[in-house]
Amino acid sequence: MSRGKRADWTAYLYIAPAFGLALLFSFFSMGVSFWTSLHQWDPFAGGGRFVGLDNYRRVLAGVDSLFWVSLRNTTLYVVMVVVGMLVTALPLALLCRRVRALQGVFRTLYFLPSITPGVVVALIFYQIFGVFGQPLDKSGTALGAIALMGLWSGAGYNMLIFLAGLNEIPTDFYEAARLDGANSWQEFWHVTLPMLRNTLVFVIVMTIIGAYQVFTSVYVMTQGGPERSTQVLAFDIFMNAFSVAGQMGYASAAAWLLFLVIGVFVAIQMRLLRSRRIYDE
Amino acid sequence: MRERAMGGYRLRGRLAAALTLLIMCLGAWVMVYPYLYAVGNSLKTRAEFTADKQSLTPPRLRPGKLAERYLLGRPDPEHEKLMQEWPPLRNYREAIIYGGIDRFLCNSFLYALVTTAGSLLFSILAAYAFARMRFPGRDFLFGMLLTTMMIPSVVTLIPQFLVIRSLHLVDHPLGVVLPSFVSAFGIFLLRQFFLNIPAELENAARIDGCSRWGILWRILVPLSKPALITLGLFTFMGAWNAFEWPLVVLSNENLYPLTVGLALFRDQNTQDWPRILAAGVMGSLPLLLLFYAAQRFLTQGISLSGMKS
Repeated sequence: MSRGKRADWTAYLYIAPAFGLALLFSFFSMGVSFWTSLHQWDPFAGGGRFVGLDNYRRVLAGVDSLFWVSLRNTTLYVVMVVVGMLVTALPLALLCRRVRALQGVFRTLYFLPSITPGVVVALIFYQIFGVFGQPLDKSGTALGAIALMGLWSGAGYNMLIFLAGLNEIPTDFYEAARLDGANSWQEFWHVTLPMLRNTLVFVIVMTIIGAYQVFTSVYVMTQGGPERSTQVLAFDIFMNAFSVAGQMGYASAAAWLLFLVIGVFVAIQMRLLRSRRIYDE
Repeated sequence: MRERAMGGYRLRGRLAAALTLLIMCLGAWVMVYPYLYAVGNSLKTRAEFTADKQSLTPPRLRPGKLAERYLLGRPDPEHEKLMQEWPPLRNYREAIIYGGIDRFLCNSFLYALVTTAGSLLFSILAAYAFARMRFPGRDFLFGMLLTTMMIPSVVTLIPQFLVIRSLHLVDHPLGVVLPSFVSAFGIFLLRQFFLNIPAELENAARIDGCSRWGILWRILVPLSKPALITLGLFTFMGAWNAFEWPLVVLSNENLYPLTVGLALFRDQNTQDWPRILAAGVMGSLPLLLLFYAAQRFLTQGISLSGMKS
């Protein structure tokens, strides 16, 4: 660029460390994962046997497969967290913006869960749930309780993202709306919401992608119980891969199927990122 | 008439403001309650906790009790004995002595620090090349790097373990940190930042005989300090909170980071919740302190991108 049209070969040295690791831990790993999913694979016994798509068949139709139960639970969890996020984070952001004096304090307090390790949050909530009605012990309420905790952990962070989005809306838009005689509801509906569309999609998609991979809270609080009511995909994959011998191929197949589910949302997110002009110079 | 209407308007405005504040305060209480619960119950004796799991303050440390002792000078022998036997921070001491929480904290600190340093270094180098150099395949390679951001960690968990295993880094500190040395998000962010720095400065430096390497470290890096600090903080926090990966890659308890160590500690002390909560409080304190010290950069970071990768 600044040196005319000559290519700068040292550039490859600069990107080599990061790119090498990305190749190894992302692209090569994806390949390994797919390869593993085609094998009856047990790295601890040191070997594998090619079985084609049999692992996928076992995941989808095996008698002892927990895939569909897990998918159902995980999806239910995702829906609860996303809906919960929308009815808490966005209204909180709208309210927080109106607070003048204590706004800084609120921002700080609502941000706290984001900087607390998930394990610690899970341990504390395990006790709190124990005091308030023990929802984790009943199969009807355990998943809801875990979703409530997920909501608690994420609502503040997303509120801050919404706040940032709200602050980007030019104030003239509101002035124009007011001049046209819009009340605050119309203002919200016709100015705030459309202008917030990108932020909204971003928060929803990120929440979905994150929630589909929920693991720590289940691992620490319920281990999938009671009666498999909190059996979620990431936990199922983890258990098969690292706690049961010889199931790593099976777990890889399940991971790829989960990737297919998440992939839809990842594609949306990618389009969104592109529309933000990543490639602009 | 009009004045009255205005007055009503103002009253309604005040009511709305008060209601807003009330709701925000309620929300803040919900956010803070778990912390108060954890701290309060971590100070209780085992007997106090068994008798009352709900209250936020241990009976022996309630203000009334303490005022009686220290302000009025009327020591209650029973209370005295209890305080002797169970000083306020006894659970914290025991979590360190029996649970090795201090070692887990040290491990976490090292992992987070090394992850942050490594990922910042690699990101700076790559971002510089992508922002300022011309080479075949640049945009393609950059796009490829960005797609890694989209791969969910649940898919790479198993193969990353297999890769680390074939490198003989299972149960090795390097195995914990190595995969997070590359941060596509970090490269993306820094490249953006470098692009916004005018090239005139660098041209002047080049005329003065400064090399590419020198330009990067003497001009671009110092100018990008806010972005680097924000990125570093987020990386540090992510590494500190990591759970699943260290759980998978480590089996030697001496190498556990705090998160995995806490899960282990819970399993070893199933009934002793005050002690577990004390360990949890110790585990979240470092990040809270860091946040307090660097709040400015963190809130900037959120508006910077609205992304946690």
